Amino acid sequence: MIVKDAVCPFCGCLCDDIEVEVDGDRVVAVTNACELGTKKFMGEKRLKNPILRDGDAWKDITYDEAARYAAGMLLSAERPLLYGWSGTHGEAQCVGVHMAELVRGVIDNTSSVCHGPSILAIQEVGHPGCTLGVVKNRADLVIYWGSNPIDAHPRHLSRYTRYAEGFFLDNAFRDRKVIVVDVRKTETANIADEFVQIKPGGDYAVLSALRAIVRGKTETIPRTVAGVTREQLVRVANLCKGAKFGAVYFGLGLTMTRGKYKNIRNAIELVSELSRHTKFTISAMRGHYNVYGSNEVNTWMTGYPFGIDFSRGIAFYNPGETTAVDILARKECDAALIVGSDPAAHFPRKCLEHLAEIPVVQLDPYPNATTAFCNVQIPVAVTGIDAVGTAYRMDGVPIRTRQVLSSGYPSDREVLLKMYTLMQEGKGQ
Amino acid sequence: MKVTLAMKPTARSFIPIEAESIVPKNFLAGTDLVVWRGNRELRLDEVFTVTVEGHADRSENVEVVLSGDDTFRLKRVGEYMEAGKITVLGNIGMHCGNFMTGGEIEVRGNADGWLGREMGGGTIICRGDAADYCASGYRGGRKGMTGGTVEVFGRAGDFVAEHIAGGTVIIHGSAGDMPGAEMHGGTLTVHGDCSRPAANMKGGSCYVFGTAQGMLPTFRKIGTVQHEGRTLIRFVGDVANRGKGNLFVRDYVYLD
Ligand code: SF4
Repeated sequence: MIVKDAVCPFCGCLCDDIEVEVDGDRVVAVTNACELGTKKFMGEKRLKNPILRDGDAWKDITYDEAARYAAGMLLSAERPLLYGWSGTHGEAQCVGVHMAELVRGVIDNTSSVCHGPSILAIQEVGHPGCTLGVVKNRADLVIYWGSNPIDAHPRHLSRYTRYAEGFFLDNAFRDRKVIVVDVRKTETANIADEFVQIKPGGDYAVLSALRAIVRGKTETIPRTVAGVTREQLVRVANLCKGAKFGAVYFGLGLTMTRGKYKNIRNAIELVSELSRHTKFTISAMRGHYNVYGSNEVNTWMTGYPFGIDFSRGIAFYNPGETTAVDILARKECDAALIVGSDPAAHFPRKCLEHLAEIPVVQLDPYPNATTAFCNVQIPVAVTGIDAVGTAYRMDGVPIRTRQVLSSGYPSDREVLLKMYTLMQEGKGQ
Repeated sequence: MKVTLAMKPTARSFIPIEAESIVPKNFLAGTDLVVWRGNRELRLDEVFTVTVEGHADRSENVEVVLSGDDTFRLKRVGEYMEAGKITVLGNIGMHCGNFMTGGEIEVRGNADGWLGREMGGGTIICRGDAADYCASGYRGGRKGMTGGTVEVFGRAGDFVAEHIAGGTVIIHGSAGDMPGAEMHGGTLTVHGDCSRPAANMKGGSCYVFGTAQGMLPTFRKIGTVQHEGRTLIRFVGDVANRGKGNLFVRDYVYLD
């Protein structure tokens, strides 16, 4: 069987033109997807059922037993952490927020270690963004800043920028200029019209300098800024001012380097400055396919996009304090539920030390590095493959993923609802 | 009146305790207060051995003394404080003196993040080091500190006095990255070194008596000035945003 227009549940591009060939409960071929997407569709070996740590070994348990364990763990904790959420659908994320509120825990998603700083910056100065379609059809200048789409979002270039047709561009390939700004010559830099190489930690200074130049204050700028000559900065500023429609896409090279959210704020303010001369927009290259969704769901339910602490019965938000890395590093939680992410693969060692000391339950289709820290691991269906659900593309457009095969695994939402019902009973509701 | 709160060692000491009830005013009506450990409400005397000496009928006459090894787990002590005194003998946790408008807090040890966040008045003295976001604003807020004084005798972390709009912040040691970011009023003085001071400033004055590392390229050099017996270089900026703030540094290094 061939399923058309499937949605790739891997990166924030959320490509919705994938063709998947299915044989029984197995994907046998994938067309249109990039390598990353194809790998995701082909799947890996999964656990057959939930498992419970039993000394040094694992013991098979049922979904009901696993849900009871998780509910008990969360109910008895004084400060449970509910983390992850970028690798699951919005409907499951909703249940997660309800759970966090019920047990008065902290709910955080992976944006606290990727684009959280972007959100902090947006909260300070707003977000002049637009959808990918607008960029595809109108932008004659695209800037990738601290992001390397060839590696991380392979089809971003072909569907929306460098290699895409544009409705309002006669010859998109010729008329559309691409600037890449990075600390090293990435593969994406090789296909750029202009490559700006910045010394590590120098993004903020370069952004400030560009803002000043756009404002006509070139004389204040030293001869070089973080390894970039003033001449090149002036050239880039002129390219930007001369564009009819410019779009900046930034990645972790900007959000997770020195200055973090201040870098993003500076980039947004550069875009605002440029918008006095022409039309300019800026957007984040969101990584996981539904990390944007976790921000959306959290925001509409609690008012905050990530790092929400319900300890006191109301939502409190303070990244740096109520975010998973900080909480774990400071040993400030006493239980953890991990959904749709793999903190053990990314978090600092100090965090993992604490994760090893507290009870941990993980929902994930596959065993991963975090499994080693789990007391219970619950296998679930993969959204977009054997479960349906809503995800938000990197530009904030919600897309309903499709189910391409049936596997019998419950979805994240089903498992979480089971836990939530038990928790409500436990609370006498 | 002197209220002594000796913190009891606790088994689950890693869960922070939110203790915004610890402000001098509240002790005028007794010690029947609550604090929160995670999602659990606890009576003050479950966490502290409470001793009260003397009597007072105004907050000004109340001094609260906090002692114990675990006081660094206490958050929000002195929040909204208007008068009186709080002395912390050891270290204190995050958000000490949030929104304070009067009185004095003295921390003999180190203070964790957000010391004196959005403070409007009064005095905070920290004898040790202060972590990130000392005397800063809140996430997404436009105005941080608007008045009062924060004096840190040790070092300060990153983003000290972020968004400061009024008041005085003095760091006797060095400060981390981006002290006085987005400042639009008030005065920040760093006696030691720091990096990228006064990023995106619009107004106010920032003094660095040491070296400004990674000096931002968007400050216009005016010349040298004499200040409290020191020769400092005066800049105006941040020209990236039409800013008219004053930045004075002893010396500076660009990331060029
Ligand atoms: S670009 Fe992203 S969403 Fe598109 S196919 Fe590749 S991994 Fe999937």
